[in-house]
Amino acid sequence: MSALLRGRVVLLVAVVLTAQEALMAGLRIRGAHPDLMLLLPIAFGLVAGAERGAAMGFVAGLLADLFVGTPFGLSALVFTLVGFAVGMGEGDRLGGGWWVTPLTATVASAAGVLLYAGLGAAVGEGQMLHEHLATITIVVAVVNGLLAPPTVRLARWAMDLGRSSSWSTPVRSPMR
Amino acid sequence: MALTRRSTRPRFTLLVLVLAAVTIITIAYRGHADSVINSVKSDALDAFAPVQSAVGDVARPIGNFFDGAAHYGSLQSENARLRAENSRLQTQALQSADAQTAFQNLLKTLNLPWAQNIPTVPAEVVANSASNFESSIQLNKGRDAGIDTGMPVVSGSGLVGRVVVASRTRSTVLLITDPTSNVGVRFGPAGNLAVAAGQGHGAPLRVDLIPPQVPVNKGDLMSTSGLQQSIYPPGVPIGTVLTTGVPRGSFQQAVTLAPVADLGRLQFVAVMQWAPKS
Repeated sequence: MSALLRGRVVLLVAVVLTAQEALMAGLRIRGAHPDLMLLLPIAFGLVAGAERGAAMGFVAGLLADLFVGTPFGLSALVFTLVGFAVGMGEGDRLGGGWWVTPLTATVASAAGVLLYAGLGAAVGEGQMLHEHLATITIVVAVVNGLLAPPTVRLARWAMDLGRSSSWSTPVRSPMR
Repeated sequence: MALTRRSTRPRFTLLVLVLAAVTIITIAYRGHADSVINSVKSDALDAFAPVQSAVGDVARPIGNFFDGAAHYGSLQSENARLRAENSRLQTQALQSADAQTAFQNLLKTLNLPWAQNIPTVPAEVVANSASNFESSIQLNKGRDAGIDTGMPVVSGSGLVGRVVVASRTRSTVLLITDPTSNVGVRFGPAGNLAVAAGQGHGAPLRVDLIPPQVPVNKGDLMSTSGLQQSIYPPGVPIGTVLTTGVPRGSFQQAVTLAPVADLGRLQFVAVMQWAPKS
């Protein structure tokens, strides 16, 4: 990856982190905050494949962990798995309709939140499985589904993968 | 052969990253790296502070505008209600000032500690936590202003929480509504003891360990007990009893507590320069 592209990726991560910590912190939908950091591994998994999705998940997760009191490293673990899983899913086999990106992001976000709470409980933070978990899951999944197409577009710009005919269609990763 | 290498590389990367994450969780959880992680976290808070302030300055008036426009009617009635309450409280304040002086003199003579005598640092709330799994707020002051980890935080009327991360210019306060928060409380004329546990953002506190025969009434005030090794000083109001009841066959009452401080709309708080006695 050239220095320019690396700079673009860092810029994108910084913008999303700022949006999450400075804007989403003040926004509650039915008591739950959206989780934009989780969108990063999903978007990179979609446009750049499993390996880069996982790597982005690890970095974004560690950054997210810096600002919360939940076990350090938990977001890194969950985001890595989510980025990898999204990258492994062959999104373009589904026909590449416009709905593939939002749907993938919705399902992956819901799975990510549940995995986060489940693993949190497994390492001794039982209170993370509280009664609002369903609301949190739905809010994070729906918001990420809506924001996925523009984020995927930004991820594609950051990785310099060019624009495809429809900007929500996953581009074939260079790895395949 | 090239094909095999291509298909196994992502899995190898995944394995390395997952192992790295699990190692970090384990090390952090066992507390070996607490000082390292806390210093990285506090550096991150400091580095992020200017960005957050700038974005907040732009975003807050816009948010307030929509909030105000949407709630204009309720703000008017709230204003009228507050005026009435204000005049009533002014009378009350005059009456209690006398009692307060007598009380302070008595405490001084008996050499007893009291929450109101502890020096405080005023601070502004600059952010809420963006996490769905903890209830915390961020203050605009940190170690430079004399704030340190473990210090209790109060708003004008009651307990808010305690400082869990203190960086140079910022500090993070874990609210009493956080599910990991437990506060020792004292209530009633007999000074009964119990524990108030957080149940998440916006939910009332749950009070445990009150035996069925102990009288508890709706509206009773509960304050910090300040027993030995307590993480809070004694006598700070926490909340008023919201609901009571004894579930059939239970050995304790089911009591919920509404925090006195309006934890959802905190703007200014005071950090008490008090450290738990170890």
